[in-house]
Amino acid sequence: MTGRGLALGVALLAAAGCLPSLRAESTAPAGRIARLDAETGFWGIQHYRLELSQGVALAVSCDQLGPCERLTARSDDPAIAEVRPAALTALRPAGGTNQQPAAAVVIVGKAPGKTAIRVDSKDGGRQIWVTVVPPPGAVAATTAKRRSSSAVLAH
Amino acid sequence: MRSLDSPVVLAVLVAPVAALSGCGMGGALHQATLLGQCAAVDAACSRSHPQAPLAVGTRFYPEIAAELAGTTTPSLYLDSALPEVIAVDRGALVARRAGTSTVLISTDDGAVVDFIQVWAAPATKLALARRDGERIAGPIALAVGEDVTLEPALWNGAQRLAGDGGVTWTNEAPDALAVLRDGSADRRRLRARAPGRATVTAALGEATASVEIEVVP
Repeated sequence: MTGRGLALGVALLAAAGCLPSLRAESTAPAGRIARLDAETGFWGIQHYRLELSQGVALAVSCDQLGPCERLTARSDDPAIAEVRPAALTALRPAGGTNQQPAAAVVIVGKAPGKTAIRVDSKDGGRQIWVTVVPPPGAVAATTAKRRSSSAVLAH
Repeated sequence: MRSLDSPVVLAVLVAPVAALSGCGMGGALHQATLLGQCAAVDAACSRSHPQAPLAVGTRFYPEIAAELAGTTTPSLYLDSALPEVIAVDRGALVARRAGTSTVLISTDDGAVVDFIQVWAAPATKLALARRDGERIAGPIALAVGEDVTLEPALWNGAQRLAGDGGVTWTNEAPDALAVLRDGSADRRRLRARAPGRATVTAALGEATASVEIEVVP
């Protein structure tokens, strides 16, 4: 490898390592999905993948040696996945000796489909590829119908 | 050596204690939750009811309880991720159909303070109980002039449902018995008027419950 290639590689590695990392801060309810995964490549995290059930929300925090500064997020299609700022009061370690409130957003699955959310901060951004899946409605409806047919008339 | 007041040490020491003491809030972010609006003297009303699914066709009147360090509760409002499942109408949660929706608790400027997943389920069984919670298991005898207050309890299988406002009451013998509202959406006061028999039925959707009332002189 030439010196120029090595320098470029080190620069790319450093850049990838300095970008913010995202972390799920909540869980999905029973029978629903809210899963955030990092897609990694040779240079580290390339982007994130989020699978979310319709009607479910997931809080996602952003860190880069502490809570991200000037965090913003934008959804390409808010009708599929809506993103809102989160107001968290919990303090997180920042810069070794300091603390800052956690920086986070809340992503809400609005309708089945695919879209992308761009998370940006002072130290760079990340892309989240979002898939919103429909709830298991057919199963729930069948269960409800079966239950109602055996309803007990209590008195 | 790390000092005992460092954030990491405090987190390690405090988190398990907080979890064991049950002080965690109902919201996903542990900053706020929704409680039922209960009168202080209403023993039958449980503030834990929002933990149950809401019965489809009913309303639930929540009270936002926030616990934010260093501040009183800011002005907060509710909205729903899926209004076709759980709608928010003038502060009440309205269960429209079976399913689940995230209810977001946000500040005026749209920042989410917390959120809670609310479920809605159809009522498959309706039971009647006295005001003190005792379940009605058979006919009730009343002397003329006496009354009894009945409250419907909604169930989906073995699971108690929350919500009120959707139950309808019918009375086959209004001459013998009066079914009176008492200020609650679903609760009724039955007053014996004249000797005879009456069947009173409460219904929500396909779930019904009946009780026979015998009025004696």
